[in-house]
Amino acid sequence: MKRLSAALAVAAVALAAGCGSGGGDGGGDAAPGQNGEPVKLRFLSLAWQKESIEANKQIVADWNTANPKIQVEYVQGSWDNVNDQLVTSFEAGDPPDVIHDDSPALSSFASRGFLLDLTGKVPAELKSDIPQAAWDTVTFSDGKSGQGVYGVPFLQESQVLIANKKLLDGAGVRVPTPESPWTWDEFADVAKKLTKKGAYGVAWPMKSPVNKVLNLALNFGGTFFDTQNGKTTVKVGPQEREVLQRIHDQLYTDKSADPSALGMGTADPLPGFFAGKYAIVPAGVYLRQQVAEQAPSGFEWVTLPPLKGQTSQQGAVSQTLSVAADSKHPDEALKFIAYFLNGPNQAKLAKGDWLLPTSTTAAKDPALTTKENGWDVATASAKDLVVAPFLKVNGFDEWKSKVATPAMQEYFADKISLDELANRLVEEGNKVLERYSR
Amino acid sequence: MTALAERPYGRAGGGSRRGPRSGSGFALLLPALVPVLVFSVGPLVYGILLAFTDARSGRNTETSFVGLENFAELLSDGDFWESFRIGMIWGLSVTVLQFLASLGLALLLNQDLRLRGVARVLAVVPWAMPPVVVGLMWRLVYHPDAGLLNGLFGSDVDWLHDFSLALPAVIVVGVWTGMPQTTVVLLAGLQNVPRELYEAVSVDGAGPWRRFWNVTLPQLRPVIVAITSLDFVWNINQFSLVYVLTQGGPGGRTRLPMLFAYEEAFRYGFFGYAATLGVAITIVVLVVLGLYLWRQAREGD
Repeated sequence: MKRLSAALAVAAVALAAGCGSGGGDGGGDAAPGQNGEPVKLRFLSLAWQKESIEANKQIVADWNTANPKIQVEYVQGSWDNVNDQLVTSFEAGDPPDVIHDDSPALSSFASRGFLLDLTGKVPAELKSDIPQAAWDTVTFSDGKSGQGVYGVPFLQESQVLIANKKLLDGAGVRVPTPESPWTWDEFADVAKKLTKKGAYGVAWPMKSPVNKVLNLALNFGGTFFDTQNGKTTVKVGPQEREVLQRIHDQLYTDKSADPSALGMGTADPLPGFFAGKYAIVPAGVYLRQQVAEQAPSGFEWVTLPPLKGQTSQQGAVSQTLSVAADSKHPDEALKFIAYFLNGPNQAKLAKGDWLLPTSTTAAKDPALTTKENGWDVATASAKDLVVAPFLKVNGFDEWKSKVATPAMQEYFADKISLDELANRLVEEGNKVLERYSR
Repeated sequence: MTALAERPYGRAGGGSRRGPRSGSGFALLLPALVPVLVFSVGPLVYGILLAFTDARSGRNTETSFVGLENFAELLSDGDFWESFRIGMIWGLSVTVLQFLASLGLALLLNQDLRLRGVARVLAVVPWAMPPVVVGLMWRLVYHPDAGLLNGLFGSDVDWLHDFSLALPAVIVVGVWTGMPQTTVVLLAGLQNVPRELYEAVSVDGAGPWRRFWNVTLPQLRPVIVAITSLDFVWNINQFSLVYVLTQGGPGGRTRLPMLFAYEEAFRYGFFGYAATLGVAITIVVLVVLGLYLWRQAREGD
């Protein structure tokens, strides 16, 4: 009998403990910044380059000293797992107040209602400092019938060419300028000229080919998606095929591009580039940072402006700051964003990440227009950035990872033909997109 | 493990002290049962229910029951079948290779070798590493430029990003990771084989091969059945290792079913469909395991 009651007592305690821990927390620290206590904001930053992290932390520290009533906590995130981190914290209802991400990610979060619509809430000064083309990259459907602005765009990336100056001079090719860039035809010729025994004219790192191809496809007006009556379908016509075909030709017809670079990520060809194995590496402007830092002494490199097809237009996405819909202090969060992204601060951030600022005042900063490290060419390329058409496509992420990435990788590895690629992109792609229109 | 542990204590259970157990037994179980109910059974039931809904990620989404719609979609989903096929190749080959390699290692460690103690400890070391660390370590081994493997062979292969090599490369890591527990269990089994049996067959003039085939294997049988089925369940549900190594790439060539379910849920936000995937894999594992154990039990008789 004694044993029975003892056992029951243990069980009761365990039960009580179990229940207690279940529903205990919750309403505790939700009180807003009344009674003189400062408002606390959490700012999830994805800065990863050393200079950039420093710039971010510095701006946050400046803000915290100037605004004792609104204290911002810097939270370090990572591009590698930001999606998982955000999905779980959104679903749990406890997201960071201010969220650093990029515009392709915003579209799906916006349509699920996780982000605050900033329409009419952005201070006029900030709004007018950023051109409409950049605002377009953060304007999405709200998942019902309306449109909203779901972030403030601040850093943009364009695709440029980074070239070995000695090899260019040695081959006697014309060095392009932002006013008269290389056309794709000229680029093909140059690459052939630069290809010698054991050295290739160009290395296309195509580990993640989709964004690269889609952004460049706009050179020839290729949009890859077609929206009619609210229904989006994939299209691969002659305009979309141009860039795909040209890169493929360099790899297998001209043999001026190294096929073994295909599996590489953007920065992986650099050792070969420094060793003179590749004369030109197409890359985002941010890669200049790694080139400048890692280049052996005496290595001369130049940044060449984007290529020209019918136009020099490229699809652009932006890095963004957004406010969580579940944030308890949205107004304070916006005030912080307006400060964080003002002209001088954007110039600092752009320098730290070697990217292009959206702010027009920041773009005039002398540090961003100097010849050194190709800043003049990089900053000039911003004028041709237009909103990437795929940004507005619901389900693009799944299309990209399930259909487009493997199909393009196989195409560039010469395992399937261009027709087959087009077929797969369209047919399998439309099936994927259908899931999202239900 | 249980098969082994039960043997020495087997008699005690049937002993004479049968106290007033019906009531107090349950009460004693309760403290242990509550966490199981709250943390195991609860989420499990929730997950199964979720499989019959159209739950999606979102702040204002409405969830409704859709019956078997998810399962119908699953059956016609080419990506799922591809992932399922990869999962089966992975699960079976890792389990079989793991078993063969571990058996060899266990036989070796069971011999009277010099430094046997050290060797045994070394064999268990991978066990102490979390899968994420194992994944990171092997990523360095497979690294195309700075990797140990390419350095060793002087080759220039991007093991984890090559369409045809990625899955075999990942399988090798899977085998390596799972070997310690399999080896330890088999070694324990080997040590439980009565010496007299070996002496008896030696008297009958059996060589090492016959000794292995006629004594060791039959004696090990229950252990082998237990560890291979556990390994299979473990392997088919493997997630972290492959997630760190390849994230399911290149082009989905290493997208195991669990990775697929994870992507559906946390990348694309289809919670209901992902739950369906989980249920489907559970059913498959149960069926495969049931068949296997049933056959083994029949042959054992």
